[in-house]
Amino acid sequence: MRRRRSVYLALLVGATLLMFTGPLAAQAADPIVLGAPTSVYTPFGKSCLQATELAVEEINKAGGVQVGNVKRPLKLVKSDTRGGEPGTPLHDAIMAYTKLITEEKPDAIVVGAFRSEVLMKAMDTVAKYKLPHLHTIAQTPGFQKKFAEDPEKYKYLFRVTTDALIPGSYTQACLDILKKDFGLDRVLFIYQDTEWAKAFAGLVKMLSAKSGWKEIGFDAYAAGANDFSPALEKAKKENAQVIVIVWDVPLGAGVFAKQYQAQKVPAIVVGFVPPMAAPQAVKTLGPGVEYSIHVEFPVGASLPLKKLPKTLAFLDAFKKKFGDLPEAAAVTSSAYDAVYIWKEAVERAGSLDADKVVAELEKTDYKGVSGRLKFDKNHIAIFGNKDANETGLAVVFQWQNGPDGQLIRVPIYPETVAEGKIVLPPWMKK
Amino acid sequence: MSTIIYGIITSVILALYAVGFSLTYGISGLANFAHGALYILAGYISWNLMNYLGLPFLASAPLAVVACALVGFIIYWGLLLRVRGIPLSELVVTFAAGVAILELLTWRGFYGISYSLPVFVEGGVEIWGVAVDAQRLLVIAVGVALVVLLYLFVHYTKIGLAFRGMAQNERTALSVGIESDWIGALSLALGSALAGLAAVVVLPLGMMESSVGYEVLIYALAVAIVGGLESTPGMVVASFVIGFGQRITASYIGPKWMIIVPLAAIVLVLAVRPSGLFGKFKELEERV
Repeated sequence: MRRRRSVYLALLVGATLLMFTGPLAAQAADPIVLGAPTSVYTPFGKSCLQATELAVEEINKAGGVQVGNVKRPLKLVKSDTRGGEPGTPLHDAIMAYTKLITEEKPDAIVVGAFRSEVLMKAMDTVAKYKLPHLHTIAQTPGFQKKFAEDPEKYKYLFRVTTDALIPGSYTQACLDILKKDFGLDRVLFIYQDTEWAKAFAGLVKMLSAKSGWKEIGFDAYAAGANDFSPALEKAKKENAQVIVIVWDVPLGAGVFAKQYQAQKVPAIVVGFVPPMAAPQAVKTLGPGVEYSIHVEFPVGASLPLKKLPKTLAFLDAFKKKFGDLPEAAAVTSSAYDAVYIWKEAVERAGSLDADKVVAELEKTDYKGVSGRLKFDKNHIAIFGNKDANETGLAVVFQWQNGPDGQLIRVPIYPETVAEGKIVLPPWMKK
Repeated sequence: MSTIIYGIITSVILALYAVGFSLTYGISGLANFAHGALYILAGYISWNLMNYLGLPFLASAPLAVVACALVGFIIYWGLLLRVRGIPLSELVVTFAAGVAILELLTWRGFYGISYSLPVFVEGGVEIWGVAVDAQRLLVIAVGVALVVLLYLFVHYTKIGLAFRGMAQNERTALSVGIESDWIGALSLALGSALAGLAAVVVLPLGMMESSVGYEVLIYALAVAIVGGLESTPGMVVASFVIGFGQRITASYIGPKWMIIVPLAAIVLVLAVRPSGLFGKFKELEERV
């Protein structure tokens, strides 16, 4: 009797050990942790996290990530850095980053910093903890500059989205069209006094001067600004024909959008004003958004493009899961692509070892929603303005009256994805 | 000319932000640090009444103002009564209530680019060649009307006179039958209602999200500190000093410096005249 009890006990202990050490245990109880520290309560943070959730859900439905011989599910852990809110000290945002890394011990970081200033600081944090970091919001070109100073130290960091110079160059291309087709040549710049916006607006200022535009002003406003009437009055007084604006804080952008309409400034808006560019803009701001021109970076962030089926599929899946298109007309598709890029790198490496994954990430050649993505020597995704089968792509669109009388967003640049041409407002026609 | 016209508009907006805060402090000595949260709460309530109950803005706006008054009243009876008379505790309690409201709104998704209130009046006019929209003119009208109505209220109504009695001397007011807790609660309710009124008039000029609450609190504090915490005329003058300071800064130094004007004004006033331009609390000490 005692002997039989001992056998049962041994079997029980053996089964328990198997449960905790065998492959079954690894599959069911050992998910790969993806950390997502970002400014959660911003349209960009929210939409990027939703896109990441969608990718994680799809991957888990398909069985997970193949790491060597084992398929492991993904677990997404979010952390709010509040970095996108004006007034949040950099230190606080970095604390949230560090807390996520040390407490949740993620195998990689996706989405990442919202504000460029936070990204620049976070580069050192990531270098310290040595884990793959694929950021998809912050846009400063300062990233590649800092990276180039010490590539070995910062090798864990990858930019999967555009940098500010890409939407800047697209905006300039749009100015070229306005000059060539309509003879416009007087521009006023308004930009948010942050690193990425300064780089964006600075590039357009330089290029537009070269192509013969006359600059009326180059006005910086603090990110927390709530009154743009000085610049708008200047635009009226100096007969600006185009207002190039670069702004990502929703509140200020919304104030600008309403003030621009209220003050009846006879100039066309070109640039990046999230509330005016969002799919929900007409509902929020009314029909005054008509004729405004916006750059969406990269493609597939919120605008379905008939010529790029992957943008249709992604945005359709997004809408099915979350009930509406992304609020942010930027970077959402980057967040989605980043998860798949990292997954493929892990599967090629056959390991979660950070150095091995980084080596594979460097070899990335991925055809995603935002185009064909490869990284350059500074670990930034390469974007162009021609073919989504060759590089990543962005798009410029204009709010126009659609066939059924509803305002719709019509892609106008680059030609490879364009579905229409720029229409000048009647109050600007000569 | 645009500097003058938009300077006036900015100043009146600042006065609207601060009037409720200043009034409550002037009557009952309560520094209501939940003021900014109550401001944005009014916007949130109004938006929800419009979008979920289908009410027109003309109906949802006054309901939001009343709801704010109610919340202010509850904050007094539910939270402040226990710490009444301990200024630091009052400040901490109202600040905590404000943060709780703002974080709750954020958690409920009150951020992003979807929240906007419609204007009361469409269209606009040109004044000496400067285009001004009708909603901004309405802001000025409401600001002026509010000053007149508040003057009439505190001079010619029983509650208003009780408010003044409390403001002058609480113990004497008690001796003539004015119940200080009721007046305290009513002053907080009135201040909260004024925050709500400012919200439904000013918020249609832009977008809204919970973080606006912090911004409004900072502006209200700046105006109240510069003008003198308990002084209504001081509040009006300070609004114009800061409002025109911002406009002149934008025109002659650069728009990005506008945002530091209120903070610079606080520092300057605290260094030169700590009780504010029209404040009396520390006047004697300053003379000494």
